[in-house]
Parts: sequence; C-alpha cells; structure tokens
Amino acid sequence: MEILAIRNLKKSFGSKEVLCGLDLSVSEHSIFGFIGKNGAGKTTTMKAVLGLLKADSGQICVMGEKVNFGQTRTNRYIGYLPDVPEFYSYMTPLEYLHFCGEISGMDKADLVMRSNELLELVGLGREQHRIKGFSRGMKQRLGIAQALLNRPKLLICDEPTSALDPVGRKEILDILLAAKEQTTILFSTHILSDVERICTEAAFLNDGKITMQGTIAELRSMRPSDGFIIELERKEDADTLIKAFGNLKVEKQNTLTFHGSREHFFVVMQYVAENRIPVRKIERIEPTLESLFLEVTQ
Amino acid sequence: MKPLFAYMKKEYLETVRTGRLIFLVLLFVLFGIMNPAIAKLTPWIMEMFSDSLAASGLSVTNVQIDAMTSWTQFFKNIPIALVAFVLIFSDSFTKEYKSGTLLLVLTKGLSRYKVVLAKAVLLLSLWTLGYGLCFSITYSYNAYFWDNGIANNLFLAAVMWWLFGIWVICLLVLFSALLQNNTGVTLCTGGIVALAYLLSVIPKVKIYSPALLMDANSLLSGAMGTDDYMKTIIVTGVSIVMFLAVSIPVMNKKQL
Repeated sequence: MEILAIRNLKKSFGSKEVLCGLDLSVSEHSIFGFIGKNGAGKTTTMKAVLGLLKADSGQICVMGEKVNFGQTRTNRYIGYLPDVPEFYSYMTPLEYLHFCGEISGMDKADLVMRSNELLELVGLGREQHRIKGFSRGMKQRLGIAQALLNRPKLLICDEPTSALDPVGRKEILDILLAAKEQTTILFSTHILSDVERICTEAAFLNDGKITMQGTIAELRSMRPSDGFIIELERKEDADTLIKAFGNLKVEKQNTLTFHGSREHFFVVMQYVAENRIPVRKIERIEPTLESLFLEVTQ
Repeated sequence: MKPLFAYMKKEYLETVRTGRLIFLVLLFVLFGIMNPAIAKLTPWIMEMFSDSLAASGLSVTNVQIDAMTSWTQFFKNIPIALVAFVLIFSDSFTKEYKSGTLLLVLTKGLSRYKVVLAKAVLLLSLWTLGYGLCFSITYSYNAYFWDNGIANNLFLAAVMWWLFGIWVICLLVLFSALLQNNTGVTLCTGGIVALAYLLSVIPKVKIYSPALLMDANSLLSGAMGTDDYMKTIIVTGVSIVMFLAVSIPVMNKKQL
C-alpha cells in the first residue's frame, strides 16, 4: 500500500524554483531514504507534506487522503522529526511527551504507558532534568520519541543524523531500525552510508526533481559495473599491461583498475591469457550509492 | 477542547517557569505601592527642594495631598506597566516560529486557531490579573490614607484603562500572527497606538479614538462625563473582536 504519494509538486521561493514537478511514492513498512544535496529541496518537500508550506501546484496524499495547507488533518497519520528539533526547554522529557499526547488527543492511560515505553526506547527513561541542558543527540532522541508517540503510519525525519557524532548517529539509526516494525519511515539525508545501512528504498532529489527511485539493489543495478580491479602477482606484468592498454590505472604496486566497456575488458583478458600473465585476483567494482549520487548531481 | 486546554496549560507553565509571572506580579505590586507612596512623599520632597525653589523665585506653601494625587499617579504609571507587558510578551508567538517549537505542536494535529486563542487568553488574563492587583493595592492604600470618594467615576476610569490595555494586547496578537520577529511586532503595535494617539488630537476624531481611554484624569476630575467616552468604548470593543477574528485566518495562512 502507498503511504505517501506526491504528484508533480512545484514550489518556488521568489524567482527561485525549488521543486519543479516532484513525483514520489513511498510504500508501507519501508525505510525510505530521501537523498539530495544541501538546498536540494528535501526540507521544502517534507514541509509541504506536513501542510506547513503551501505548494504552488501538484498533489500530496497521505494514506490516500489529500494534504491541505494550514488545516492539515492528514498530520494525524504522521510523526515528524525536524533536523534540529526544539522543545519547550522548561519541561522534562516526560512532561513534554504528556503535553504532546494531550495535544493529539491520546487516551490518558495509553499516553502514560506509551511515553514511558518510548523514553526507555530512546534511552531517556531515567532523565529527570529539564530539556534545557540536553545535548543535540539527546534532543534528537527525544524528537524520535515524540514523533512515534501517537503511533504514526508515517514517520518523517529530516536529516536526523547530520549533526551528530558517530556514536549519536549509530544510536539514532538503531532506533529507526527498531521503529521499522511499527511504521513507515521517510528520512532525508546526504549521508549515504546511513542510507546503505538501514534503507530499503531510496530516491535521489536533484534540481527539484526525483532523478532515480527504487530499492537499494535496483538503484545499484540501474548503473552498469564501474569496472574491474586486476591484481597481478608481479609488478613487471602490471607495467607491461599499462604499456599495452591506456585505460588501465595503477591502484597499488601490482593492482590495476580498469574502466571501460565489457568488450574492451575481454580484450585485456585475452592479452593476459595469451601472454600467460599470472593473476592473483579479478574483481568487479560494484557501483556505490556515492558514485550514483555524484553522477546524478553533476 | 482537550488540545486547547493542553496548550493553555503549557502557556501558563511557561509563564511560571520562565519567571515571567513573578516578574509581572512584582512589577504590578511595585506600581501599586508606588502610586500612594509618591503622593504621600510629595510634601516631603517639595520641602526638601523648597530652598532651591525659593532661590529660583518659587515659594512652596502648604501642598494639598489627597486620593486624587495618588490616582493621577496611577494613571501616569500604568502606561509604563503596559509598555513593559508588551515588551515581555512581544515574542510569545515569534519565539515559537523561530525556534520551531510550534512546528512540532502543529504536526501533532493542534489547530492553528487554538494557538491564537490560547495565547490571547493567557495574555488577557495576565493583564487583567496584573492590572487588578495594581488597582487593588492603590485603592486599598488610598482608602486607608485618604478618601477614594473624591475621584469621580473611579471604577469606570479604571475599566477604561483596562480596556485600552486589552486593545493593545489584541493588536499585539494580530501582529504576532502576521509577522516573523518580535521587533516588528513591537514596532507595529507601538505604531498603531501612536497613530491612535495622534488622531485623537483632531477634535472630530478624538471621541472615536481608543487613545481617549487613556485620558482617565478628565473623567476623574469631572472635566468629561461618562457619555463622552461611549463612542470610543464601542469602537475599541469592536476593534478588539476584529483584531482577534482577523488573527485566526492570518495564522491559518502562515507559512512555517
């Protein structure tokens, strides 16, 4: 089932066109990586989904219901974690979650149970202090707890890991992975290792449009292999091959990389066979999300 | 209604925990005590300066002090309290836009009009509380030292000034819904009040301008009657409702 569907979304700020006909579809129980450079329009898209920004044209549906700007009823399906979540600093985490639950009309008993459960999940269960002194990582974790509070169908996270240290990042990714059982997650990022670690699907946003979308495996297969690594036993053989073929490059002493067509690669292999050059290893270079990202955004 | 009450509760908690409530109470109590105190101290101050006044050719004779002196002082001081009130709460909305705390609340499903309503209720109740406190203290001291009966239409004069405060606060709410930063909110609110004041210089317009409500001394001294204020009370009442009614669609259309 399609949790989120965006069709032909357009948004300009003054003369700057940020989104120009964005189409996106997020299916249920996926962790969807929304990838784009800084300023590509990720936050704008998310704010439009939340009805916080008015789109110039296009349609957004959450759980099949149309999203309206201003009075956004579809937000009852959504949990939102902004890039830098800010809370009422004079409250304790538990008070804040209770406040959020009352705002969204949760049942009192359920709210008490759910807040304690979520604070345990994000590691703030024993935190009695007010939010005022919280580190960024702690705020991010509380942000996830508040976003998951009313069991949303869709959890939208805007660059949840960008400003965190490696430990904080790992914690957030682990929490998101754990949350996958309960909800669908759309998270924007430009950290590709995070996408590779937890996402099931991803889309690349560039120049206000989605340039590629699919499962991580599909995205990788959209692009043929980047080439091959040939590791030889002797350095002299490596030199011979370099002299014979211009498109081979030295990676290490006796390791060469090859970039070129498959046909051309067979010619190299034929040469290796004919000259009886001993080979230690031949490995295909898999395309990484990073190489895809660079290609897409160029 | 539950979300509205939850948000209101949060507003009151914020006022208490950020120390604004205690500051307001101290401010209004201080002003409340200051009015009769200044009146009481006036003869002593005049005596202290009598030598230097005599040198410049002024002779101080017996200074007459009564409840009116204290009430005149009250209506001179209350504008300062109102300005302080506006300055303290000028960022009530804008702080939430800037920090993004409102984003989370709105994405939790709170209707935007409830934000306007809860904040307006908080501000109006705090003003009423502070003003009432200040008035009661001055009234009690005046009753103890002198006789409040000397001031004509005292309660109407007090209600008029309270209403003027409500009018200014509703302006503050409107501009808070409209603008992004508190400097703009303060300047625009101050600008409209200044405009109303300037317009009240024109005799024909004067009777309609909310700024006339500030002229409580004319009512106390009997220079103006209660009927002279009716038109401005109606104009002020209607514009208060209008400001709040306009704030809601403005808030609904706000891009956050």
